[in-house]
Amino acid sequence: MSTVQVTIESVSVPTFVLGILSAVFLFGMFIVGYDQGHLFNVVVGEQAFDDLYLHELYHDLRHVSGFPCH
Amino acid sequence: MRATVFIGITLLAGIICGLILGGTNLVVTEPFIDQAIDIEIQNAIVEGENIGSIQEITKYRIWQKGGQVLAASILGLSLGSLFALVYAFAWPSIPGSNGIKKGLFLAAIIWFTIFLIPFLKYPANPPTVGDPETIFYRQSLYLVFMAASGLGALVLAFLYKKLNNKKSRKFIVPVLYGAYISAIFVMMPPNPDLITTPMDLINNFRIASALTITLFWFLLGAIFGVLWDKFKPYRKVTSKL
Ligand SMILES: [Zn+2]
Repeated sequence: MSTVQVTIESVSVPTFVLGILSAVFLFGMFIVGYDQGHLFNVVVGEQAFDDLYLHELYHDLRHVSGFPCH
Repeated sequence: MRATVFIGITLLAGIICGLILGGTNLVVTEPFIDQAIDIEIQNAIVEGENIGSIQEITKYRIWQKGGQVLAASILGLSLGSLFALVYAFAWPSIPGSNGIKKGLFLAAIIWFTIFLIPFLKYPANPPTVGDPETIFYRQSLYLVFMAASGLGALVLAFLYKKLNNKKSRKFIVPVLYGAYISAIFVMMPPNPDLITTPMDLINNFRIASALTITLFWFLLGAIFGVLWDKFKPYRKVTSKL
């Protein structure tokens, strides 16, 4: 018995890969471009909107990448 | 397609380019952000606001600058994922004889449609320019315009594939995009905020930021292209008895 190596070339993207990478894309855009404290709100409550911890963390990049800020 | 290899090279290319973007920004754009924040602090002092101690502000800025590098890696992962998906779907049709050439070509198109075109309409601003009251409105304008440009390009890419005449489609598709985006460009309302910060500072900031983002996109195209050729996620070798 002998084994034969078969090479298959396919660029079709599996649905779960499409799902994962789309999620990474949207999540990143939301954080960098739009979040005003919503994300930390889940962890620390209302305080997040006042302190804007996360907002301050990505604040400078938001300006640099062209997203509206202050 | 080998899914884990594909996701792996996507995230790797994204994080490398994100870290380079963050590092470059520390040198290239942060000096202008510092200047803008100094002006902001001066204005606050004139208006008699309590701004806290210098030590506090310095500490705060260090937090923001460190965060900038972290945020850049998140942005790198995010845009890298978008790039990789479009690359994989469009791979057979992207012009170019190898991964890097295809990567650079696709990077140029995505850079143009979702960065340069929105930048020309709503250019980046350093801190102190934006009015907090209009933030939601400005974010909506930017998102709508960026989405309109990106989705328009996507629809036209499908049209490009559908058109059989290879000569005329190279002409028709760019003209259609030009007409479409010009109409939206004119229709969209301008940024509502008045600029009171010195124009010199704003222009320098805009040039610096546009340069770093442009560098990011082309680097992403090249690095992803290299990884694609090296790891060949589209190739699967199986053994059969
Ligand atoms: Zn800001």
